[in-house]
Amino acid sequence: MPSDSEVPIEHEHDVVVARQKGRQLAAALGFSTTDQTLLATAISELARNIIRYAGHGRVQLRCLETSGRRGVLIVASDEGPGIPNLDLAMRDGYSTGNSLGVGLPGARRLVDEFEITSTPGVGTTVTLRKWLP
Amino acid sequence: MAVPILKQGNTLIASIQAALSDRDLLDLKDQLGERIGQVRAREVIIDLTALDVLDSFATRTIRGIAYTAKLRGAETVVVGIQPEVAFAMVQLGLSLDGIATALDLEEGLAYLRARGGNRAIRL
Amino acid sequence: MADLADQSPIQLLMREMGLNEANVARRQQIVDLKSDDLTRISTIKDLLVGHVDEHGDRFFDYLSTSEEGRTLTGNRSLLERARALKRAHLLAMVEGDYGVGYAAQRLELAVLYGKVGLDLPVFLAAFHHLLSGIGASILQQSAATPREGFEAFMSLEKVAFFDLGIIVDAMVFERQRVIHRQQDAIRELSTPVLQIRDRLLLLPIIGVIDTHRARLITESLLKAIRAARAKVVVMDITGVATIDSKVANHLIQTVTAARLMGAGVIVTGLSSDVAQSLVALGIDLTKLNTVGDLQGGMEEAELLLGYHVVQAASPPVPSPAATGA
Repeated sequence: MPSDSEVPIEHEHDVVVARQKGRQLAAALGFSTTDQTLLATAISELARNIIRYAGHGRVQLRCLETSGRRGVLIVASDEGPGIPNLDLAMRDGYSTGNSLGVGLPGARRLVDEFEITSTPGVGTTVTLRKWLP
Repeated sequence: MAVPILKQGNTLIASIQAALSDRDLLDLKDQLGERIGQVRAREVIIDLTALDVLDSFATRTIRGIAYTAKLRGAETVVVGIQPEVAFAMVQLGLSLDGIATALDLEEGLAYLRARGGNRAIRL
Repeated sequence: MADLADQSPIQLLMREMGLNEANVARRQQIVDLKSDDLTRISTIKDLLVGHVDEHGDRFFDYLSTSEEGRTLTGNRSLLERARALKRAHLLAMVEGDYGVGYAAQRLELAVLYGKVGLDLPVFLAAFHHLLSGIGASILQQSAATPREGFEAFMSLEKVAFFDLGIIVDAMVFERQRVIHRQQDAIRELSTPVLQIRDRLLLLPIIGVIDTHRARLITESLLKAIRAARAKVVVMDITGVATIDSKVANHLIQTVTAARLMGAGVIVTGLSSDVAQSLVALGIDLTKLNTVGDLQGGMEEAELLLGYHVVQAASPPVPSPAATGA
């Protein structure tokens, strides 16, 4: 199995590093090119959020294997200001036709499992899982 | 890393390479704006063939580039979005409404030529 | 790196399964195979080698007692091959080398079992039967030193489970492969994208559209747009079972994605009733270019692409008089 890694997100160039690592990991596990792109895009969104709202943080990439299923685990975390109104932020603006306020709800659609914890003043952690079909 | 901007007749072609940073994209917006004025280009093609990911930031910036071009009197066509990238974009809820798109550079040039004439495919 | 064409099917399978040195080492770890075990196994080596055919027979005899097992024992040529492989297996089990080559050998039998569709529970029972036969003979041999005999058998059991792990994984893997192939076939049948003319694709959507299917359809369409360099797609939804807001959003997504690739989509088959109810639900249909029926949509598409379809003045159909009736 490909090895786990952690990408520090300090400069905006790291967004590209993180998503390329994500793509490589997904490719090594056998994900289709479409799924690789979905994962890389989700990582890109999360990493950019870290830069924009927290200044710096990290993206951890890990292989998953449970009861015969293989997949990838992504944890994007920071010690930034946190998201005050998480419910509002996670509300899908999709049906209102808001095509550019995508961020988190959008990223959620790209993966199989999505968890977010955010405490104002402490930080934010977003956990993604994507499984091989 | 600067984005190469080629001039072909009245058309400016910017070929965006993969792994472009946010800074580079923003720089492109300024550079393109300048070049359009300098050479009085009427048409701009933004070629995204080499991009393997188009997230919300990149999409916003490309829209910005298109509008900047329009303000300067140039029409913009975005070309080269790959199937996987297009798919990821709509899953994210992104679109390029209001901006002309074409399959690739060849189609983009053909589109601009046709617009120059009487007919335009409006869909 | 060896050319893919040069690699034997077993080597290819090993690569696909991720059965490399590291993986084999991990599997040894899982059964806790240690050098002490190797030492103990060497003490019963001669015993096993001396009766290898007997033990092999036990396995196949057990299989032939059940209908499922007879799928193997009833096939003469495969049975011969299986016997030969099994013999080599048993000998290798006590050799002491349980590396990649050993694993590859297990795979050959596994592939054979897969080919006849050998029932897994029956296989496991036969394996157990074989193993207990070996156990009995070891204990008989070591009547004077039962403890050593037992420990030697336990060590051999570790190897047996190591084998089982590989064989079962391989059988399941192959089964999955068949399932995937079938799924692909179903997928192809259910998401046809037809090239009607140069640059014009027709996408007839029929049946229930859930998120998964919508995604398949979109992916197929986008790839087809690239391959055919399509500029116009006629997407006919006459046959879509229910068009609620979710389905409508899926369709809008498909249209948006196609647009990003420079292809315009004409949606046909959207009845005005359905359209009205969608608008009432707040769906913005202005993004869609809709035309009542398929024929109208095709004509519009052809116009857009600059085709001018003309009916021939004298159609080339032979008159009854000319057919020599």
